[in-house]
Amino acid sequence: MRRLFYPVREAWGNMRTNRTTTVVAILTTAFTLACVGIFLLLYVNLRNAAGWLQQDIKIMVYLEDRITREGAQELEGKLKSDRMVAGALFISKEQALGEFRAQFPSDSHLLEGLGENPLPASFVVTLAPSFRSPEAVTRWAERVRTMAGVAKVDYNQEWIDALAGLIRYIELAAIGVGVILSAAAVTIIGNTIRLALFSRREEIEILRLIGATRAFIQIPYFLEGAVLGAFGSALSLGILKFGFELFRQQIGSAGRFKGIENMVSFFPLSICLAFVFVGMGLGFAGSVVSLRRFGEGRA
Amino acid sequence: MIQLIHVSKYYDRRAALSDITLEIEKGEFVLLMGPSGAGKSTLLRLLIGEEQPDEGQIFVQGRNVTKLKQSEVPYLRRKVGSVFQDFRLLPKKSVFENVALPLIVQGASTSDIRRKVTEALRAVGVDLKKDQPPSSLSTGERQRVCIARAIVNGPIVLLADEPTGNLDQERTVEIIELFKLINARGTTVIVATHDPLVMRQVNRRVVTLMQGTMAPEPRLGERVGV
Repeated sequence: MRRLFYPVREAWGNMRTNRTTTVVAILTTAFTLACVGIFLLLYVNLRNAAGWLQQDIKIMVYLEDRITREGAQELEGKLKSDRMVAGALFISKEQALGEFRAQFPSDSHLLEGLGENPLPASFVVTLAPSFRSPEAVTRWAERVRTMAGVAKVDYNQEWIDALAGLIRYIELAAIGVGVILSAAAVTIIGNTIRLALFSRREEIEILRLIGATRAFIQIPYFLEGAVLGAFGSALSLGILKFGFELFRQQIGSAGRFKGIENMVSFFPLSICLAFVFVGMGLGFAGSVVSLRRFGEGRA
Repeated sequence: MIQLIHVSKYYDRRAALSDITLEIEKGEFVLLMGPSGAGKSTLLRLLIGEEQPDEGQIFVQGRNVTKLKQSEVPYLRRKVGSVFQDFRLLPKKSVFENVALPLIVQGASTSDIRRKVTEALRAVGVDLKKDQPPSSLSTGERQRVCIARAIVNGPIVLLADEPTGNLDQERTVEIIELFKLINARGTTVIVATHDPLVMRQVNRRVVTLMQGTMAPEPRLGERVGV
């Protein structure tokens, strides 16, 4: 039992003995991980926003003028039975004209001179959530374009592409910044562990000489690194939450962006937990690096 | 028990030990004599696998120390107790905790640790100071604690590197008597020293090292003080 508690007691004792170093390591790790967290938060929220925006994407399937009522019904049946389609709303020529007049009352006289209603009947199609990627939308549109009675399929391709591109850039930036700052966190914790190793080099030497295995000597330092990482990442979540709430409050009170505060959200619990585990992992990695450099490889 | 066969060790091409062949039987008390830099400490370090010889073979209780894997070295050290000139006690731990360390490392139960540490401290005569930090002890007492730590797990060999180097004459005699007592209980004892007082006090087998080479061993009647 003593053997099991020994590493825990030693790790705890070491952190207490080197209080200042421990606190500085936790704080610097927290601020470093908070920087990673800002990018992650931005990424998560933009993805969410992209999801909502893509939900709003409506694809217009315009019908040929010569299509019969049966033909339109058949096409409606085909669209509704398509597993990629979540909903398809039929807009008749008359409804289209009515909507045009309602939306552009000052321009409605333009259509009156034409005699016949020039607006085509159409279906407003919403795709199922799993088929809203730009590639899926393009593939679906190309397929529908060849169906009998379809004159044109219209959707805002450029807008979808731009949004997907923006998300990809943020994803890359988040990965880049994440990797660099994670390396910084590993270095910070690694240095703390190295200080601990240096201050306890005599003890380590004695343990080696009395027959302690490498694992027995190293475990307290692995534990210490993991605990520093976990505390650092937990604190960084606190900092992020505080900053996030402040941002939401500020943006809510600014008239121009009113409403956005309800659209942004903090990390869900699963990401918070993952963040703490990543912090633990980084701390552990810092210990591994330090122990290797310290030369604990020898017996 | 312990065998060194044509062992050599070099540091920067300078021979710290040169072609040493030595055999030590179970239960022997051997003094490793010689001036500073003769190779005594190097020989002891080789015996616990802290360093590897450049030439030759070393056997401890039938196991070839030179062929041990890194992961096997700690298990060799658990069979060999070490006593140092500078004691090497942990200042932030009590006397009891210092002596308990080898048992904790081996995963002994709490009751075993309590019993064996108490026995070891009693054997060296510092049981009444078990809760004190080493800094509150005299140098002689600190060396006794170091010996208690070395014998607490019942090693087959006890190695002592200049154990009386920091002690006065009276304490030196006490410590040597303690080694004799431990040896009388069956533990092989090897003491490296350059102190003639220790040699006179022990009056056992003497192995003399001079600049890394072994001098011919004197016959029993030729030993100093006999």
